[in-house]
Amino acid sequence: MSLAEAGTVAPPARRGVATARLLRSELRLVFGRVRNIVLLAGLAAVPVLVGIVLFVTQDSPVAGQGPPFPDRVTGNGLFLVFAALVSCLPFLLPLCVAIVSGDAVAGEAAAGTLRYLLVVPVPRTRLLLVKAGAVLAFAVAAVAAIAVTGLVVGAVLFGVGDVTLLSGDTVPLAEGILRTLGVVGYVVLSLTGLVAVGLFLSTLTEVPVAAMASTVVVAIVSGVLDALPQLSAVHPWLLTHHWLDLGEFLRLQVDVPTVLGGLAVQGAWVAVFGALAWSRFTTADVSS
Amino acid sequence: MAPGGQVCVLSVVSGEVAHSGAMDTTRTFSPRARWAVPAVAAAAVAAAFVVPATLGASASDDLPSVSADDLVDRMANADRVPVSGTVVYTARLGLPDVTVPELQGAGPLDLLGGSSTVRVWSDGEDSSRAALLGEVSEYSVVRDGPEAWTYSSADDEAVHYVVDPADLERYEELSEEAAEPPVDGDLPTPSEAAELALAYARTTTDVTTTEPVEVAGRAAYQLEMRPQTDGTLVDRVRVAVDAETSVPLRAQVWGVGDDAAPALEVGFTDVSFEMPDASVFDFSAPAGADVREVEVPLPEPGALEQKHPDALDGAEGVTVSGTGWETVVELSDVDVDAILGAAAEGRLPKDGTGSSGADDLLDELSPSDGEMPALPELDTRALYEQLTTEVDGGRVLTSALLSVLVTDDGRVLAGSVPPATLEELAG
Amino acid sequence: MTGAEGAAEPAVRTRGLTKRFRSGQVGVDGIDLLVPRGAAYGFLGPNGSGKTTTIRMLLGLVAPTAGTVELLGAPMPARGRSVLPRVGALVEGPAFHPYLHGRANLERLDAADATADPGTRAARVAAALDRVGLAAAADKRYRQYSLGMKQRLGLAATLLRPRDLLLLDEPTNGLDPQGTREVRALVRELAAAGTTVLVSSHLLSEIEQVCSHVGIMSRGRLLAQGAPEEIADAATTQVRVAVRPDQRDHLARVLAGLGLADVRSDGDALVAPLGDVAVEKIAQAVVGDGIDLLGLEVRRPTLEDVFVRLTGEGFDVAR
Repeated sequence: MSLAEAGTVAPPARRGVATARLLRSELRLVFGRVRNIVLLAGLAAVPVLVGIVLFVTQDSPVAGQGPPFPDRVTGNGLFLVFAALVSCLPFLLPLCVAIVSGDAVAGEAAAGTLRYLLVVPVPRTRLLLVKAGAVLAFAVAAVAAIAVTGLVVGAVLFGVGDVTLLSGDTVPLAEGILRTLGVVGYVVLSLTGLVAVGLFLSTLTEVPVAAMASTVVVAIVSGVLDALPQLSAVHPWLLTHHWLDLGEFLRLQVDVPTVLGGLAVQGAWVAVFGALAWSRFTTADVSS
Repeated sequence: MAPGGQVCVLSVVSGEVAHSGAMDTTRTFSPRARWAVPAVAAAAVAAAFVVPATLGASASDDLPSVSADDLVDRMANADRVPVSGTVVYTARLGLPDVTVPELQGAGPLDLLGGSSTVRVWSDGEDSSRAALLGEVSEYSVVRDGPEAWTYSSADDEAVHYVVDPADLERYEELSEEAAEPPVDGDLPTPSEAAELALAYARTTTDVTTTEPVEVAGRAAYQLEMRPQTDGTLVDRVRVAVDAETSVPLRAQVWGVGDDAAPALEVGFTDVSFEMPDASVFDFSAPAGADVREVEVPLPEPGALEQKHPDALDGAEGVTVSGTGWETVVELSDVDVDAILGAAAEGRLPKDGTGSSGADDLLDELSPSDGEMPALPELDTRALYEQLTTEVDGGRVLTSALLSVLVTDDGRVLAGSVPPATLEELAG
Repeated sequence: MTGAEGAAEPAVRTRGLTKRFRSGQVGVDGIDLLVPRGAAYGFLGPNGSGKTTTIRMLLGLVAPTAGTVELLGAPMPARGRSVLPRVGALVEGPAFHPYLHGRANLERLDAADATADPGTRAARVAAALDRVGLAAAADKRYRQYSLGMKQRLGLAATLLRPRDLLLLDEPTNGLDPQGTREVRALVRELAAAGTTVLVSSHLLSEIEQVCSHVGIMSRGRLLAQGAPEEIADAATTQVRVAVRPDQRDHLARVLAGLGLADVRSDGDALVAPLGDVAVEKIAQAVVGDGIDLLGLEVRRPTLEDVFVRLTGEGFDVAR
């Protein structure tokens, strides 16, 4: 193959095809990375641990104490999914999402691989979209890791059956599983705002740890502000305020406006921070 | 960019968003144009959230005006219709925050301060349901004819109330008037608050109407009631009534201390007049829950018609002084320690408080008056001491709308009056 | 030779290219780079003279403060999408994912290229690895590579597909002498095959041996560019005339008569800048005046001489 004859370049693949090809490569990168797999395994370990602890202590005097869900798990293993999700939601899930989203652009910048991707060339907007897609895929995997192990461990240790809702009404197992899917989907979508924040922070720095840490800080500060009654006026806008509205799926009637309201706030965060990330990333000098 | 670049900027924005970015073309636009995108996104988000809230704000504009008397009549004579929706209850009573909802789950104690959301369903007759929503927890009160349930998801505890068999016959007769078995730890709804307000409206009160308002997207008339006396903590009460169905949509109570915001507010944020699904009222205790069975007598006919402290007068150990807004109820021989000790287990002492008058008052105050939620749920002595302050000869609880004085010699005085009035009465 | 863009267009052209950093420091100051098609262009300058920033601007990684860039006749960064696939680049050292194998790293870059055919990816990656001598280490993690192997992998990435232009920033950094020779041979080979190559370096010796053109950067400015001979001419070619010591004064008078200025003695000879004076005229005049000519030598300047002459300081001390 002589380089001298090499002037002609194949017509570029259609935009969607090229994006899909890059996304596949990106997913392989994200899910092929030991660190990320360890994170997923850590999340999957939560329902296992909670399940075993509840199993061992279920006949002891300490049974039935603690936060909302664990005391129901022993009666119905399906609740292990909720118990694990609710216990991971304040910190572990945001942490894992922050690590991967904060690393998305800053990690490539720190390694220097960003400049080589850009001169391939990969259009910056496409690269950002692909990064966002891969981080979202990780978020889905993270929530699914908890939910699936929760379901399996719960079913093995405690068995599953008809589901008692928060309102005290009981629905058949099939509907319970449907509602569980609703919870899982709601949790995933609840993390999209944080993904956008993480991506934006990731475009600001070449130090991935800084982007990860500040993303975690955003989630935690949001939680702290949410606990201050003096700020109740801004609470509905906070990133984390509607996260626990996942409980809506376990009420007598799932209130659609409540669920959509929570998702709309996430959508707002995604729109603003997605746009910020885009503006920053497509204008920044890549000098790493 | 060129001075006239505004239009150009916008076209970049739309083009870019629509096609998810072609480097070949967009890299030629200035960074400043790109930074306009988040600004536009933020503006669009703000618009998307703010505009629907202001749209249709004029729905109440073209209501024919109604006099205060007519409005009171309408409310009193309105047909009961099915209602469901979301009620937000906000208390700014000035009490210390004693709730940790994340730890306890939803319970009536939440109602002492802050905002709570209650979802309500009513068939317009003798079935209703109210659910106090907590973060992944819920406290429900379900009434279906002569029986009622409360269920707390946090404790997984259900209480089943049935009307005393001796009263069942009377219940059947009364059901036209929608008699309800009283329930410990009931949840407030605008209707109940309005009912109470109307009871007062017939006493020493100036009743007027305000401009029509909009509540939960419905055009509503609003009644304003001002006590004619200065001796009460209540400054004014407003009740908004749906113009079409005459269902109360919102009740607000202002204390004399704060004119900026109502001390107590309970109103729909979302309301529908469709008949709820019958299964909503069909409750039975979930498998595995702790169930307590309680048989309750129906309230005496007098108390039923008028939920008013006057009805208590004459009962043993109870003295009522003052009238209307200034009413003060005094109980004697109350064993506070017994109440606190029993309340630590989350229920009233089996044998009562040691004062039949106190039992009556607790029964009377705990259900459905909206202002004085759920004494039985007040947990411990620590809470008691947190809520009250030491005064000469006892402890006093002060809030924006209600004062309670517990004297060291076992008397309890309560009323919507300044604490000084109570101390004076106690002597 | 090449396609639609036309071979007449220079491979690289910048006009007034300037980069002022946010700190206010001027990294690149109005340079007009011109790299003809087919040239092997040596981009010279000490570390920190603005070479890398210039290359980043050529590739659209850094936005110029002022000035324009054309690569293969097309404006950058506006046409980057269609031009960059024909450009291979090694910018400021190789950079790959440390936890991926060499082969996987190249496959990722190829997957990112919308114009690359996934069907031939495996073959092209293997060929590129083979060409830089990494075939044996293809399945080792990048983390385990030596500095030289990393550099080779970076070169392999530029060879994933045929290119019209290669921009190689310090390609021999970290290589042992053997590796340096190989890279030099590779550059020669590519240039001979018609690929335009721009090689930046802070090592003069590297450039002198392979380049048909050079550009000299110092403190953000392009001091000179062109074929090495042209640049040398622009500086000072010296003439050295050796005679017996007793004829030195005589010689000095003759040289002055020819119009040579700045005559100084250098051992047993006199040295002067040649200027416009023809060498054969000097020989004729010296011999014709009866001086015994022991030696006559024309000294073309080295690039280092040129640099010292242009900047007034040594190559290594500048910055």
